[in-house]
Amino acid sequence: MNSKPCLKNNDSKKILNLPGVTKKTLLVIFLVTVPIVVIFISLFMGRYPISPAETLRTLYQGITSGTNQPGNVNMDIIWQIRLPRAILGGMAGAALAASGTALQGLFRNPLVSSGMLGVSAGAGFGAALGIIFFKGTVMIYILAFFFGVTAVFFSYTIGRIYNSTPAIMLVLGGVIVSSIFSALLSLVKYLANPYEELPSIVFWLMGSLASASYRDIAISSVPVFAGITGLYLMRWKINVLSMGEREASSMGINVNLDRIIIVFCATLATAGAVSVCGIIGWVGLVVPHMGRIITGSDNRILLPASISLGACFLIIVDNIGRATTGTEIPLSIITAIIGGPFFVYLLKKYKGGNW
Amino acid sequence: MSSIIEIRNGSFAYGDKSVFENITLTISRGEILCLFGPNGCGKTTLLDNILGYHKLQSGSILIEGENISCLNKAEIAKRIAYVPQVHDKSFPFKVMDIVVMGRTPHIGSISSPSSKDYSIADEAIEAVGIKHLKHRIYTTLSGGETQLVILARAIAQDTSIIIMDEPTSHLDFRHELILLELITELVRTKKISIIMSTHSPNHAFYFENAGVPAKIALMHNKNIMTSGLPNEIISEKNMERIFNITSKVFKNNLPGEILNFIMPLKTIKK
Repeated sequence: MNSKPCLKNNDSKKILNLPGVTKKTLLVIFLVTVPIVVIFISLFMGRYPISPAETLRTLYQGITSGTNQPGNVNMDIIWQIRLPRAILGGMAGAALAASGTALQGLFRNPLVSSGMLGVSAGAGFGAALGIIFFKGTVMIYILAFFFGVTAVFFSYTIGRIYNSTPAIMLVLGGVIVSSIFSALLSLVKYLANPYEELPSIVFWLMGSLASASYRDIAISSVPVFAGITGLYLMRWKINVLSMGEREASSMGINVNLDRIIIVFCATLATAGAVSVCGIIGWVGLVVPHMGRIITGSDNRILLPASISLGACFLIIVDNIGRATTGTEIPLSIITAIIGGPFFVYLLKKYKGGNW
Repeated sequence: MSSIIEIRNGSFAYGDKSVFENITLTISRGEILCLFGPNGCGKTTLLDNILGYHKLQSGSILIEGENISCLNKAEIAKRIAYVPQVHDKSFPFKVMDIVVMGRTPHIGSISSPSSKDYSIADEAIEAVGIKHLKHRIYTTLSGGETQLVILARAIAQDTSIIIMDEPTSHLDFRHELILLELITELVRTKKISIIMSTHSPNHAFYFENAGVPAKIALMHNKNIMTSGLPNEIISEKNMERIFNITSKVFKNNLPGEILNFIMPLKTIKK
């Protein structure tokens, strides 16, 4: 995956440390290139074999003479199936990782991810409603997005009962709201038609990129890019906020306002991704830690690195899910089965040194 | 001397629970005020109000002549920096990353520190004598070293006032003295005003002995019982009134050297 040339467990001489123009440019190029390479690799991976050379040629043909070429199977597979799937996966991974990184910094808690505030539970309930009442996919997206955002709004309102909204109250609000939406989701599942609707709900909840289309990309790109951009602009403030409320406030941060902005952006990005791809666990929790091990804790570097890493991680996970066995394995299953041991490996290798 | 902070009839309560009432207090430019009083007497809450972290229920606080309720967070932070009792570490930042955070009120709301901010942070690191720690991961530092990093951050914030909440309470004998020396130096060379809450009256004596303008305010029963020069205020009688203890003040006015201190002797049981 993201193999860096030298990763020494050394405080002072990490490769991505000092601010400098060339170093910064190199870093930007690196962070942009790696997901593109991963997307390219995923174009020739899969059960229908297409060689890398063939893939390049098909890509080139698609760009020069249009992708609508009846009878050209490679063209359809690469341009209509694998490419949108990889792009959507990259977007979703980036959104989840960026949100997780920002929220972990904001709440000073390495166990937080955007699911913590109720987005996933709310989106799951909304999607289930959409599946039962509307069947059509667009309504599923809309309801999932709507209830994902609504759940976070409730979490925030509960957090505000304590008038200064300490971070821990917000997380507690998220736990309460999540469990209520999980119960509502169970209710919908219980009432759903067990032959058609229930399996759809269950599959949706496990996350999938199988039906990815350019329309999906267009729909989710708006909240995903808006959210990620917002978080990226807040990256320095996230550093300061991770010093704790009182200290951040004494350094001129309007804690309550900035917290709302960060939670809102993280929710937007996550809900945008989840409403199209279904619930994808683990990415928002673990990718930030992988990033922290590689780049250190400074969100000015960590946040962009997490975005890049999250994109790569989810695309790779999806490739494994669709290419290794005869059937497709849902995303959340693989993110956990692969991500878990990989995370343990990282922790063991670096002994929590940079983390 | 012109007053840089002026608290007029300040009262504050958490809900119905009054913390302090009608406090009036002034601090001059280049002066140290030690805030002294029993546990739970409201020192930290008073400091929080001066920092703008809490808002007074009645009364007003003037910072350099401006009412604090008319200033936004960044404007307050350009005037007042803060050193907590103990910094709660979260993520493994580098020392430099922490110190340069002090520049936050001076940079745009979505920008990051510039090279100028880094050189100011460098000076602050040099000023507290922790150049050797500059590239260290701060979660690996000792409590004393961490407190110096936080002081450097406050210096980098480039304010005319620094508020410290029991800054030495977790420090070893040497680091406590280092911190007191640095505070003295800041007041002497940069004319910074310092408000520090403390549980040791000898801190006030230390500053007075060192010859920098120092005041002590005794906080008791939701109010400032009395305030003034340490050698007038720190008396056996006042200690008995506030803490119900007997103590002995030693005054040594030697030629060219003042060395006053107080020794607690015995609690008085009723």
